[in-house]
Amino acid sequence: MTNQKLFAHPEILSILYRKILTIRILESRLQSYCDVGLAGDLHFNKGQEAISVGVCAALKKTDRIVTHHRTIAHQIAAGAKLGPLVAELLGKSSGVNGGRAGEMHISDASIHHAFSFQLVGTCIPVAAGLAWALAHHHLSKDIVAVFFGDAASGNGQFHEGMNLIGVHRLPVLLVCENNHLAGNIKSSFYMPGNLSVADRAKAYQIRSQTVDGNDLGVVVKAANEARSYIETTGAPYLLECYTERLSWHKQGQRDVRSKEELSKLAESEPLVRLTKSLGSLIDVPTMRREIELEIDRAFVECVDSEPPAFTEERTDE
Amino acid sequence: MTKALIRDPWSRNRLIRDSICRAIHHKMQLDPTVYLLGEGAHMKVHFDAPDIEHDFPSRILTLPISEDGNSNFAVGMALGGLIPIVDVISSDFLYRTMDSICNTMAKLGTVQSPKTMIVRAEFLTGGPTSGQRIEAMFTHVPGLKIAIPSNPIDAYEMMKSALSSKNVTIFFEDRMIKDAWFAEPTNLPLTPVDELGITSRGDEATVVSYGITHALAARALQGKPCMLFDLRTLVPLKIYAAIESVGQTGKLLVIEPDAKFMGISSEIVAQVTERYSGVGCWCLKRLGGPRSVIPASRELHDLMIPTEADILRAYEELTS
Repeated sequence: MTNQKLFAHPEILSILYRKILTIRILESRLQSYCDVGLAGDLHFNKGQEAISVGVCAALKKTDRIVTHHRTIAHQIAAGAKLGPLVAELLGKSSGVNGGRAGEMHISDASIHHAFSFQLVGTCIPVAAGLAWALAHHHLSKDIVAVFFGDAASGNGQFHEGMNLIGVHRLPVLLVCENNHLAGNIKSSFYMPGNLSVADRAKAYQIRSQTVDGNDLGVVVKAANEARSYIETTGAPYLLECYTERLSWHKQGQRDVRSKEELSKLAESEPLVRLTKSLGSLIDVPTMRREIELEIDRAFVECVDSEPPAFTEERTDE
Repeated sequence: MTKALIRDPWSRNRLIRDSICRAIHHKMQLDPTVYLLGEGAHMKVHFDAPDIEHDFPSRILTLPISEDGNSNFAVGMALGGLIPIVDVISSDFLYRTMDSICNTMAKLGTVQSPKTMIVRAEFLTGGPTSGQRIEAMFTHVPGLKIAIPSNPIDAYEMMKSALSSKNVTIFFEDRMIKDAWFAEPTNLPLTPVDELGITSRGDEATVVSYGITHALAARALQGKPCMLFDLRTLVPLKIYAAIESVGQTGKLLVIEPDAKFMGISSEIVAQVTERYSGVGCWCLKRLGGPRSVIPASRELHDLMIPTEADILRAYEELTS
């Protein structure tokens, strides 16, 4: 199913388009908060949204997701409520984790987002342990989808985790969001030659596929196939999605790429590609207004929410 | 047979380990979510805990030599509703797991609901990377509990307690604590451990220690009229009763097996000083390991922790 085939299912297309647009608008709003010091060191997903939205569309409701630190897209893709999400991102006690986790450590049992951690690579062995618990203790058919970047594949935790997943043939969907960047560093600094992350998966006898991560339809189709393969065989699968991050790595770190380079990359970003072909399938201006109102409400809801109470760990009990 | 093997068959000490395994077996009988994992887990259970191997073979998980990944794997198991007991083998290997323990495990309870996770590690005598005492370092990391039993009965109680609390516990086992120092516990569970950590009473001095140095102090100071405290856990550090005792005795001896510099005794002395600042004067002695890499040589290794003679001498100097 490429984008074109996705258009044959307007109701699904509308749901997924809405999610991508929500991520884009929310992150843009949050950027304005960061600019005036009202939000902290947030990491945005602009340009990469089709991967989280496409993969989550292929998961069953009870599957778990485990993510890296760039979590806003995955939260929305998995169906998070905007109010508690925004409150968490702003460090408010009404946040989904009481304001103590923030963007980089967020989790939400209600959408089966089990874990996210800032340290690159950690999510992979953690996903392995969770998948082991599901398969061997709970005897469940649920799978774990773990999201990470291509730069994580230069980290020991990626390799230890892949080895654990490979040795135990765990039901893990490894989703690599390959944006060819490690923070602001280009891939020649961490990937030898033209090696792909899918190539690395071969060493652990993990089946893999590389797809265009900016094509929502392609991602949905590939993730569906990967999920069926995992459910049928119980074995892991690595789905490498090529994409480009158009946002900064994080606040305060201006992009090392030139404006011209970014403009060129922006021509093939997923929202532009989808919108071009929409025709009259979706009333985008109306959808945009609805989303903006929803986001307004989320910010208003947490205006009066206090920061979490400070607690010092007792050392004597 | 070499002199060292005749003199110090440390590798065969097993009473504390047996107690730990019995506590784990007991908990596994009650709770189907408890799992043992780590490098060579099946092999270790085969030799150390045949009851567990016999009764719960499917709850043992042998993992590769990837300590950091294994501890992160344990976090994943905990997220899946299980209670993992991950064996890192040697205390030194904990350096390899600093990220998974100090970043992932220790912080999980802050960002979501706390989980029970146990990390096991032994103090061995293999030298620079297989025999270091590094427990004090972990006391600085919020989110971690640190347990170091000095005897088989405490080991049983402490493991049971760790398995029943929603905390991350680093559970150390000291293979140099000799079986010959204890009678074999026959019908565990026996007496509940003293809540205040008092293992002997008297008014001549207050002696605070833990782990192997407590076991040594109990032998060296047998018959001395002192208040002897076994900390058992470094976090939490339950020293309220010991601090009060210094008010009675006016003399404090603190003994630790880890390096004395910036060590556990520094914190204890600081808390006692704060308590009695401007109130009265009291006398102090500290004993601990040198700031040095513990060498491979067995003879030199014996110099790395205070001996019974050191403890007796320090006590006599303090009370004379």
